Amino acid sequence: MNIVEVSNLRKRYPKPDNKGEFFEAVAGISLTIAQGEIFGLLGPNGAGKTTTLEMIEGLTDPDDGSVIVAGIDVQKEPYKVKQLIGVQLQANDYLDKLSLTELLELFTALYGRTTPPADLLGKVNLNDKAQARPNKLSGGQKQRFSIACALVNDPKVLFLDEPTTGLDPQAKRSLWELVRSLNKAGMTIVLTTHNMEEAEFLCDRLAIMDQGKVIAQGTPAQLIQQYAPDVPPVPRHGNLEDVFLHLTGSALRE
Amino acid sequence: MIVQLTKTFLRIFFRDRRAIIFSLFFPLVFMAIFSFTGNLGPQTVSIGIADNANNIFSTSFKQALTANDVFELSEASEAELRAQVTQGDLQLALVIPAGFSDNGTPAELPVIVDAAQVRQLALIMPVLEQALVNAERTLRGNEPLFSLKVEDVQARAQDYLSFVVPGLLAMSLMSISIAGSGFNIVEYRRKGILKRLFVTPIQPKHFIGGLVLSRTIICILQLSVVLLIGVLVMGINIEGSALSLLVFILLGTTVFLSIGFCLGSIARTQETIQAIGNLVTLPQMLLSGIFYPIESLPAVVQPVAEVLPLSFVATAFREVIVNGAGLMDLLPQLLGLTLWGVVTLVLAIRLFVWKEVAA
Repeated sequence: MNIVEVSNLRKRYPKPDNKGEFFEAVAGISLTIAQGEIFGLLGPNGAGKTTTLEMIEGLTDPDDGSVIVAGIDVQKEPYKVKQLIGVQLQANDYLDKLSLTELLELFTALYGRTTPPADLLGKVNLNDKAQARPNKLSGGQKQRFSIACALVNDPKVLFLDEPTTGLDPQAKRSLWELVRSLNKAGMTIVLTTHNMEEAEFLCDRLAIMDQGKVIAQGTPAQLIQQYAPDVPPVPRHGNLEDVFLHLTGSALRE
Repeated sequence: MIVQLTKTFLRIFFRDRRAIIFSLFFPLVFMAIFSFTGNLGPQTVSIGIADNANNIFSTSFKQALTANDVFELSEASEAELRAQVTQGDLQLALVIPAGFSDNGTPAELPVIVDAAQVRQLALIMPVLEQALVNAERTLRGNEPLFSLKVEDVQARAQDYLSFVVPGLLAMSLMSISIAGSGFNIVEYRRKGILKRLFVTPIQPKHFIGGLVLSRTIICILQLSVVLLIGVLVMGINIEGSALSLLVFILLGTTVFLSIGFCLGSIARTQETIQAIGNLVTLPQMLLSGIFYPIESLPAVVQPVAEVLPLSFVATAFREVIVNGAGLMDLLPQLLGLTLWGVVTLVLAIRLFVWKEVAA
């Protein structure tokens, strides 16, 4: 069953250097994401990944096309969709002077829920930082906290925008484990990345974007099968003796 | 949602000690300055008299004025007096016409004042009239049938400090409110904090509601502190009821917070909000009768000045604090602010953008 259905999505923005002209950040994208899978949106910087994600999340209004999440039209009922999804943004700034616990309390209340902050911090292994302020966290801790914020409403779909950019290998691995365990518990996960190792390790299916368009879609194995360059002929190996023997034969001479 | 947001914004404010000190610093410093310049010794009014009558009546009138401590009398010709009033050496000049009250028919007594000194007039006129009545009685040998207790005017300390403190309160209400919404919005949007909040199912009305509520509470606390210091340290009397003040604080903060929201939605950077914030607040500080009465402005400007939101707030504060006016006495201000409140609030919700406009 598809939990996200995107068809022919478009978004234009004014060009930064010439406001009169527009460029298409997203130029007609169609995607389907199945319930329970980890779906990866790949592409170089500026390919339109974040814009696409934000249109699915109801944060940006599309110029054209439609997005259906869990059977609900995002443009018609954005607040209903927001109840069902969890979103981690690239920017990680929070209201000043509040502790992690207080921020989680606030976000939980904004969904009209009462999940205890300690449970959420436990999920992302940040219990010992409960009273800390977000700006005192390390890069990996910040990312894990922003996932905790995205989990306050026990979402059906979790969106992660470049979750491991700028993290050291340990922090990256621990985040991957977190994503996997959330997925095992039944959560559909959509993430953007330009890290191929991450895509291969985590994603059940992928879409590769460039210049506002999806240029390929499928499982990692399918994509490799279809698009990986042909295997080059194996280079010959051996030494001069092999050559000599090859030319003159290996039979003993008198 | 609104309650939780309100709680959060209050929590943030009370943890920001610098902001608290700064918000109180400005009105208190102003008040301190005015209390030094405005209350040095007993306040006297310098009056010049051009006595063109020079008869028994005018002499008796002058004696009556001299006897009153409020006045500092000097005599000169009418032309000289006019020059002195213009230069500010005299606050008021009286011209006693020739043949003043010789025949017992009522005569007019021209009073020359500088427009900038109008604030004194309300205080002086009853005293002058009383002196005039006294002089007339003495001259005719009548026993006074009754005597007005002019003293009351002085007892209420209708001096410049009482005039300016309510205005300063209104002004700090304006700056606290506009900064509280407008500046915060721009900062929150720039840092992506607004976007993070609007990932959740909150709607602009919840966000604006929470911010208005928390800022109103903050404003009430701040103004109470300023007013309390005014009462305890500077001896200001509050004649009216705290409830009436509260009503106008609520209306005022709603209007100015909404204006702040509108500005915060138009401006993209701190620099622009600073600039357009000044564009909105500075003219009001000058035109709204904060430092001198609206009546002393050019006649053309007055109708505009009178309907500015800050004018309504300042006038209402002043009437309540100084003259003990109740809500029923201040219906024009009540209506004016309500109208401003509805218009600016609707506009704030309409204009509000939490999304960052892409480069």
